Amino acid sequence: MALGKIKADTLEHSTAGTVDTQYVVNGSAKAWILFDGTGTIAISDSFVVSSITDDGTGAYTVTVTNAFSTSNYCVAESLAGSSAVACTYNNYTTNTSTAYKIGNRRVETTAFHDAKRANEAFFGDLA
Amino acid sequence: MTDTPQFKGTHLFDRLCWAKEKLDGVQSDYRVVYEDSVDECAKILVPDPNWMACALQGGIIPPVWVYHELAKDEAMPDFKKHTRGFLLHETEPMPAMTEEEAIEYLIMKDCPQSVWRNWDTGNKPKLVICRKEQLPGSREWRNAWKITEELSVTDLAA
Repeated sequence: MALGKIKADTLEHSTAGTVDTQYVVNGSAKAWILFDGTGTIAISDSFVVSSITDDGTGAYTVTVTNAFSTSNYCVAESLAGSSAVACTYNNYTTNTSTAYKIGNRRVETTAFHDAKRANEAFFGDLA
Repeated sequence: MTDTPQFKGTHLFDRLCWAKEKLDGVQSDYRVVYEDSVDECAKILVPDPNWMACALQGGIIPPVWVYHELAKDEAMPDFKKHTRGFLLHETEPMPAMTEEEAIEYLIMKDCPQSVWRNWDTGNKPKLVICRKEQLPGSREWRNAWKITEELSVTDLAA
């Protein structure tokens, strides 16, 4: 590979102590995406994502390029509704190691609602 | 144009880190409309700009059969975790693709196999590649969107 490489088990700061590099690797996001879920869905920026699927109103599937080792990975997310209504969001069906489904719902009706700005960060072990 | 390093054997994540730093995203106008359930509305696949840049560049993403092998493993009843992840990293990466080839690859990677393997069987196509301006401009009736029954498979194949 043309890139440089540093091999180390521990990083040490002059005063703030040390941290295991394994901790850094495990704690880093392995994929992320920012998209607008209204209109013609558009991906603003991303990392390690191959596509997003518009599954219907307020429902989306994010598919990653590098599969996770299992479907038990963690996703930190926030979605803002397309209008001034309170929304809640969740993973509404089964995931796979490459595909994660997210649904954005109105709090008062639980009906799916398009997300104006959706942010997702994926954490876990890669395959 | 930036030359792709020799990436065979390099972890896919590292290749994608390189691509994120070196390549500009490519926003494709293509969209893939498909139906995988008669009880649900049509779904629309949107290619990721960074992934598209990797596909057009070549030498970064693995062949699509690698993902199919991993999906087969995951479908096994005793599946616990992937043990053949090395296929993603050690298989010779795909050469540069055209945008159209990249969309075909992405269909086989991210659409259900039940859709693309039999896209032209039945009374109407289960899958259509179009440009984004051909999609409805309003999402008011989004959950009612379907591929039209007036679209014939033979028209598409012509």
